[in-house]
Amino acid sequence: MSDRVDVKQGTLALMILGTLDVLGPLHGYGVARRIEETSRNRITLNYGTLYPALLKLEQHGFIKAEWRQSENNRRAKFYSLTAAGRKRLASEAREWNQMAELLAAFLTPRNAAP
Amino acid sequence: MSYLRLMRARVAGFFGGVRTNDDREELESHLEMATAEHVRRGMLPADARRKAMIESGGLAQAAEAIRGQRGLPWLESIGVDVRYALRALRHSPAFTTVVVATLALGIGANTAIFSVVRGVLLKPLPHREGDRLVYLRQSMDGPGGESINFSVPEIEDLKKGATALGGIAQFSAWWLTLLSHGEPSRMEVGLVSGNYFDVLGLKAVIGRLTDASNDGAGVAPVMVLTHDYWISHFGGDSSVVGRQVIVDGSPVTVIGVLQEAPLFPIRVDALLNMVISSHHVSATMVQGRTHRMTEVIARLAPGATVEQARSEVSSVYAREQADYKEAYDPGSHFRVAVIPFKKAIDEKARLTLIMLMAAAAFVMIISASNVLNLTLMRDGGREQELVVRAALGSGVARLRRLLLVENLLLALTGAALGAIIAVGGVKLLTLLAARYSPRANEIRLDGAVLAFTLTLSIVLALVLSFVAALPREGSFAAAIVSGARRMSGSAGRQRLQRALVITQVGVTVVLLAAAGLLTRTMIRLSDVRTGLESEEVLSVNVPLVTPAQMVTGSGDADAKERYERMEREVRALPGVVDVGVGSPGPLRGSDIVLEVKALERPLATGEAMPRADYRTANPSYFSAAGIPLIAGREFSTTDLPGSANVVIINKTLADRLYPHADAIGKQIAWTGDVLRFTPFHGDWRTIVGVVGNTQDGGQDVPFRAVVWMPFAQERVTGGGLVIRADRNVDQMKLAVEKIVHAIAPTAVVGKVVTVAQIKDESVAPRRLNAVLLSSLGILAVLIAAVGIAGILAFSVSARVNEIGIRMSLGADRGRVQRMILREGGTMLGIGLALGIVVAYFLLDVMRGLLFGVMPHDPLTLLAVSAFMAVVGLLACWIPALRASRVDPAITMRST
Repeated sequence: MSDRVDVKQGTLALMILGTLDVLGPLHGYGVARRIEETSRNRITLNYGTLYPALLKLEQHGFIKAEWRQSENNRRAKFYSLTAAGRKRLASEAREWNQMAELLAAFLTPRNAAP
Repeated sequence: MSYLRLMRARVAGFFGGVRTNDDREELESHLEMATAEHVRRGMLPADARRKAMIESGGLAQAAEAIRGQRGLPWLESIGVDVRYALRALRHSPAFTTVVVATLALGIGANTAIFSVVRGVLLKPLPHREGDRLVYLRQSMDGPGGESINFSVPEIEDLKKGATALGGIAQFSAWWLTLLSHGEPSRMEVGLVSGNYFDVLGLKAVIGRLTDASNDGAGVAPVMVLTHDYWISHFGGDSSVVGRQVIVDGSPVTVIGVLQEAPLFPIRVDALLNMVISSHHVSATMVQGRTHRMTEVIARLAPGATVEQARSEVSSVYAREQADYKEAYDPGSHFRVAVIPFKKAIDEKARLTLIMLMAAAAFVMIISASNVLNLTLMRDGGREQELVVRAALGSGVARLRRLLLVENLLLALTGAALGAIIAVGGVKLLTLLAARYSPRANEIRLDGAVLAFTLTLSIVLALVLSFVAALPREGSFAAAIVSGARRMSGSAGRQRLQRALVITQVGVTVVLLAAAGLLTRTMIRLSDVRTGLESEEVLSVNVPLVTPAQMVTGSGDADAKERYERMEREVRALPGVVDVGVGSPGPLRGSDIVLEVKALERPLATGEAMPRADYRTANPSYFSAAGIPLIAGREFSTTDLPGSANVVIINKTLADRLYPHADAIGKQIAWTGDVLRFTPFHGDWRTIVGVVGNTQDGGQDVPFRAVVWMPFAQERVTGGGLVIRADRNVDQMKLAVEKIVHAIAPTAVVGKVVTVAQIKDESVAPRRLNAVLLSSLGILAVLIAAVGIAGILAFSVSARVNEIGIRMSLGADRGRVQRMILREGGTMLGIGLALGIVVAYFLLDVMRGLLFGVMPHDPLTLLAVSAFMAVVGLLACWIPALRASRVDPAITMRST
């Protein structure tokens, strides 16, 4: 359990956008499962975290939601990326990658230095 | 961009109502999917559901979190606060009613009076750069000398010598008879120089105004209507421009309508160029240095200051006095004041309005402290509730906010009701203000006034919320554990409550003292003897000559004949005892004041030239009016043109001219440069009688010296009837009006009034002041009495145990009563003492509003203190009685 990770502010939104980008329209449960799987269960999302985040993205206009039948004939709310969301994902991803590179340079373990 | 969209979505979410079902369904579907997954992996359905629930982290919390994201949470919690506050206030209807009513009265009075103060004193003048305007006032000693206007040569000197005055406007009060559809009506007008409107910085609403081309003789007469007159007489019809109207028998073109503006120094219906009065453009007026008929309003030259204008004007004036000694009697101390225009306009209203504003502020202090006290008592009672709420997780900030919301609700409701009260009050006050200020029509309950009201109520709510002692953070547990019912609250709070009651009593005493002084002023004024033997005398003014005719003397014989006919016919009416003819009517002030000289009685050096009112009377005037003859005889029917010149003087003039001798048989004459331009001649006349003094021109003015001229012997300057009847005075009015109208169909006849009514006119403004302040005073007394009674009642109920113990230890009822009375009496006493001290020093500012009573009149102070003491003690009595009825057995048991 020690490798459990807290979801940092802002990163969850990016994970959601990424998930929807890869998998297409998906309901909240699907998004949660996908994030948990991708993180190899180091992240667990309870509803109180996930759904406000989804709502906030929807309010920003990055994703849109509609009620549909799920694969096993259950009504569920499906979220999908909007054009604005796609753009947002691209710019956020670029920023994150730059930031990660930068931080990596700082945080390289001493013993790995040449 | 996207942040805006977020806010929009959230606001929409807040107002969009319940989306909760949607959210719940989504969460539910999530739960089902999770359960299905667990089942698929081999769990029993019930276990699967439970596990899914645990993983969810609580559906309710999730729904709450979503709701928080969807709407505007802080707004929602305020909504909760408002609902809570409403519920709390509904649960204590008595408290709520008293507080709201008290606030409504306080806020209403303040709003109404503030709107008057703003309209009349605070708003900038509508004139362009109105603060650059100055009003010049020439005055001299003696009655009627406060403002004697300027002559044209004097104004010419100012134009040449006072460069700090960039433009000098001239205004001469006049009146005209307007004939419309055959009906005559009197128009008060101002004859003005062409530059008048430009100097004053006023614009036309429609049409145009006059300019320099309208000056002088030989131009066409034109008329500019004032806004009020245009609305009231022409219904705001814009086609009036270019129309011809007939005034004093000749046509005048209306060229425009003036914007709304205060008309100073007198209200007029229209402004015309000078040419309408041939007198105003004649040599006598234009060249006569003592022919002072013109008011002067000037605009400071760019860059010039009032100080500069003052020093330039005074040096011009000094030169004039040196060059024209005969025009400035040194004994009468001629002087000129340069007064900022706005100050001159405000002059009469300022003191009264400041007094009213102060009184309203006092009422506000009293009602605010009363509300504060009630709130403190209530909070004392609610301490337990607040402690529990705090312990259950409300932070102090949140409790504070709850109180604030509650107080805001109270204050705003009070303000709303107060504004409604103010609407009625403003109407009444506008009537009052119109007596003192030409700006009364600018009084409005507008946005600025309502902003004042709103600010007042919000400040009040803030004060109320922050003086309430809330439990300190961390003390909750202790408070709960102790379980103490500390109803009376902390010592600090008690001190505050007492201080509030003392303040109320003190402020009330000041207010009452002010009201008392005004009431005494009013009574003193009504008690002043008019000098007439009876007040049941009818009087009507019937002008048969216009000012222009008065100057030329045309129509004189015709006028005299008609006055005589009126007298004869009125005398024949049943019930009429006596009728006189003369001008002006009894108790009316005379517009004509002239210098008088006495034969063989030279003035001492430095002695002011005697001046006297010019009045006319026929032989029966004095007996009809009830003016007592002191010496000599009244006029007789033989005092006619061609016979010996005779006059009657009043006692004031007789005492002035002949302090040690009999005036009868002595000779006097009108004198002064001004006689050259006026219809009055300076022949010697023999004094045949001395009559008593009368209160001409108001109850509050000193007696004026009067010379009575025989009506038949002199040119008609004005006239009217004086009628004494022994019955049916009201029916008589109608009959008299009928006769007058038949004989003088085109004359603008005044109302037939009794002299009692004339007398009352001069008391009325003072009476209104007294009534207004007395009502505020009574209001204050009531509020203060409620305050004392409330605080004592509260103190009694807080000390029931103590009282019970005292009584069981042997204190009798009387002792307990005295204890409570002493508590109230102490507050009352301190409040009274403070109030008297403050009143003694503060009320000195009222001096100008008083008549016949000093600002620190001990009798008034004593009377109001006694009144306050009696009311206060009565207020103490109720809780004291209650205290003495405490049953020790019951209170001890319940402890």
